[in-house]
Amino acid sequence: MASNIKSDLFLTNKTSFACARQSIPSVTRAASNGFVAARAMKSGTEALNLERPLRRIEFDAVTRRGSGGKFGIYGGKYVPETLMSCLGKLEAEFNFVLHDAEFQAELATALRDYVGRETPLYFAERLTDHYKNENGEGPDIYLKREDLNHCGAHKMNNAIAQAMIARRMGRQRVVAATGAGQHGIATAAACAKLSLDCTIFMGSEDMEKQASNVFLIKLLGAQVTQVEGSFKDASSEAIRQWVNDLEGSYYLTGTVVGPHPCPSMVREFQSIIGRETRRQAMERWGGRPDVVVACIGSGSNALGIFHEFIGDEGVRLVGVEAAGFGLNSGRHAATLATGHVGVYHGAMSYLMQDQEGQVLGAHSVGVGLQYPGVGPELSFLKDTGRAEFYTVTDKEALNAYQLLSRLEGIIPAMEAAHAFAYLDKLCPTLPDSTKVVVNCSGRGDKDAPMFFQHQPTLNA
Amino acid sequence: MAASIKAPPSSSSRIFPTLPRPQPLSPFKPARFTASPSPTRQLRSTISCTLVRDSAVRMDAPAQSRRPDSFGRFGSFGGKYVPETLMHALSQLESAFHALAGDDDFQKELDGILKDYVGRESPLYFAERLTEHYKRPNGEGPHIYLKREDLNHTGAHKINNAVAQALLAKRLGKNRIIAETGAGQHGVATATVCARFGLQCIIYMGAQDMERQALNVFRMRLLGAEVRPVHSGTATLKDATSEAIRDWVTNVETTHYILGSVAGPHPYPVMVREFHAVIGKETRRQAFEKWGGKPEVLVACVGGGSNAMGLFHEFVDDKEVRLIGVEAAGFGLDSGKHAATLTKGEVGVLHGAMSYLLQDEDGQIVEPHSISAGLDYPGVGPEHSFLKDIGRAEYYSCTDEEAMEAFKRLSRLEGIIPALETSHALAFLEKLCPTLPDGAKVVLNCSGRGDKDVQTAIKYLQV
Repeated sequence: MASNIKSDLFLTNKTSFACARQSIPSVTRAASNGFVAARAMKSGTEALNLERPLRRIEFDAVTRRGSGGKFGIYGGKYVPETLMSCLGKLEAEFNFVLHDAEFQAELATALRDYVGRETPLYFAERLTDHYKNENGEGPDIYLKREDLNHCGAHKMNNAIAQAMIARRMGRQRVVAATGAGQHGIATAAACAKLSLDCTIFMGSEDMEKQASNVFLIKLLGAQVTQVEGSFKDASSEAIRQWVNDLEGSYYLTGTVVGPHPCPSMVREFQSIIGRETRRQAMERWGGRPDVVVACIGSGSNALGIFHEFIGDEGVRLVGVEAAGFGLNSGRHAATLATGHVGVYHGAMSYLMQDQEGQVLGAHSVGVGLQYPGVGPELSFLKDTGRAEFYTVTDKEALNAYQLLSRLEGIIPAMEAAHAFAYLDKLCPTLPDSTKVVVNCSGRGDKDAPMFFQHQPTLNA
Repeated sequence: MAASIKAPPSSSSRIFPTLPRPQPLSPFKPARFTASPSPTRQLRSTISCTLVRDSAVRMDAPAQSRRPDSFGRFGSFGGKYVPETLMHALSQLESAFHALAGDDDFQKELDGILKDYVGRESPLYFAERLTEHYKRPNGEGPHIYLKREDLNHTGAHKINNAVAQALLAKRLGKNRIIAETGAGQHGVATATVCARFGLQCIIYMGAQDMERQALNVFRMRLLGAEVRPVHSGTATLKDATSEAIRDWVTNVETTHYILGSVAGPHPYPVMVREFHAVIGKETRRQAFEKWGGKPEVLVACVGGGSNAMGLFHEFVDDKEVRLIGVEAAGFGLDSGKHAATLTKGEVGVLHGAMSYLLQDEDGQIVEPHSISAGLDYPGVGPEHSFLKDIGRAEYYSCTDEEAMEAFKRLSRLEGIIPALETSHALAFLEKLCPTLPDGAKVVLNCSGRGDKDVQTAIKYLQV
């Protein structure tokens, strides 16, 4: 089935691969390379259950994930032939740098001196008190302070590492797509530092809403190319640009979606979050976290903190998606909660799609969560029951944004506010002194104007 | 005794008797020192001390090492020019400060907060492309390092002091905090720590500033602080400061005033300096780890002077380390619209301390101007005045235009967007680097990040 090059270069989902709840192994695996033979499987119409009870974890399957770019049935390389050899080269380079002492040393220095790592594991005393019940019992809440990174979010961990890879590969031009602008800013900054030319593709809808970010990207020396539409259109255009110039340019992906090796690469570079957390937890209380909570747009900050603990059976992994105006409103970004399996941007994963397999638009007050897909590895963690996924609405996120500001003097990114909002439901269920680590994936100064619009009469 | 003027009338020579402290003055008005010392002025003291603008005389070590002395003086600068009502609060503050300096528990608590909450230590970052940029045609040039205070929580060095003073206030049993703010950065830092420690927070801000900085006002309110507009005077920083002091006088039993810089009456200059001194301490250790030595030149922007003192203090006694402060020359030093206090100011008393300040012939405060709100202060910390006069530190200035060029330059070369305040220090590298020998180690205090300056930059740059 030829894919229409004029639309997405990666195969979009033309038919829906409906995934019945319990029957993962029964979905026929399509060929992982080349074009997908479409097999329409219409499932029952029920939405996938949110509060899935934890099953016995199949650790074999879990630890074997990621080999060959597949996480169970998810992931893969659903791309045209033109990109196959490029992806192969990228994978080879990635595998090389993983073990190259010189690269690792240079990256470690950059992370320490440029990005400002390691980030603290901060005990949120007032937030902890807030969630104590009448007996004074409740979990101990820690924040992993990714908001303190250079450029204000976890995005830089990945951008700097990939920019270094681009330079190693001798690629002079870097292209990337951005929604809200955070990945664009991080990429532009990393390219400035490493003297790489940088072009950021941004959807016209987003550019209007994020004029400041557009300015910052230009200030950092990058070019901004406007694309009609939103993030998914910008992504496609960026990829098109890349394919036209495979020898000289490098497509810097911001998150754990896309064809192999992109999800694994980004996860690997973000996994420093979890590694530091493990060590810091050991130093602080001589143990591991009991629960790790993170917001989920496509999943990079979540995988960054989860990855380290996936093999630790006693650690609960909780992902929080955006329910926007509510799951029944049709205006949300809760891919894992309401989506069905399909192929999008080169990988098989859960995807928000209609009955005809057309990709739906996503909405959230946290603009960085506005993605109708999700990383394949997260789809796998959901199906195996290793991680749990919930959702919070725009309103709940806005309240959490204000609560953390008031109680701890930390203004979280609106995306991260979704993770904090879930604490309202989570904490009452946890025994006393349970150690909860929330990934504070970014700072929220960028969201202040928008919050102002929602709360114009904010009084002291 | 007739006073003699040692310099042309337009310069800053003034004669000051070493009288005991003048009559208690209202802290809201600067002391008036008449322009030309008339021969009819009868000075009772037989000792007169001439202070010229450029002191060629270096004072010896003993006086220099008492920074400050027990009266809170740095040479003749500093002191406590306040009404009686505040004297007790200041003494109490001073005792508490000295007690806590030796209190291990306090230090441990503070260190923990600086690490986990503020995100210290901040890196000493080798700016490779900036260093390349300043290499001369033969490949020689200094090595430029940035002390990354921009990575701190809230994005500037201000929080180091805010956090420590909030802890101090709690120790004193004071649950009500007040502060003044110009652009809002110190206000945001104060509101932040008050949220963290559960303290009531009131920020005084000039009504004009509130209009220009609506976003910062909103942030302070989001953090739970009350922002009170000040309409008196020119409705800017100096008026907000006066109002804050007025509030403090009225509520001194329950209230602690978190002053944002190394200005104000003793013990504030020394306290704020001590709380920022962590910057210099870390720098010394990091420099040693990185190149086995000390920095040769330290560069920092100077508004009130807190980030500069924070970096300099550790190295003041290391004679071979050059200390360079960069003020705001606004539209130019001759334009009358600038904030270059140490270059163009004269000695007077403002907000409780004797120091250089921008004043007119009648001793009225001149409204300063800088594109960067944080440098837009007509005074300067007394310790800087002292370091200038003894020649220990050098002070220069850069215009708005030079600062904006530097703002763009660092963004483009290193992917770090500096605060406009910091951009002044960066701008000075243009003049400094060509004069430095090959391999000279320069450490510049990157005192804040520039996200807050986006609107200003958009207007100015029309990008």
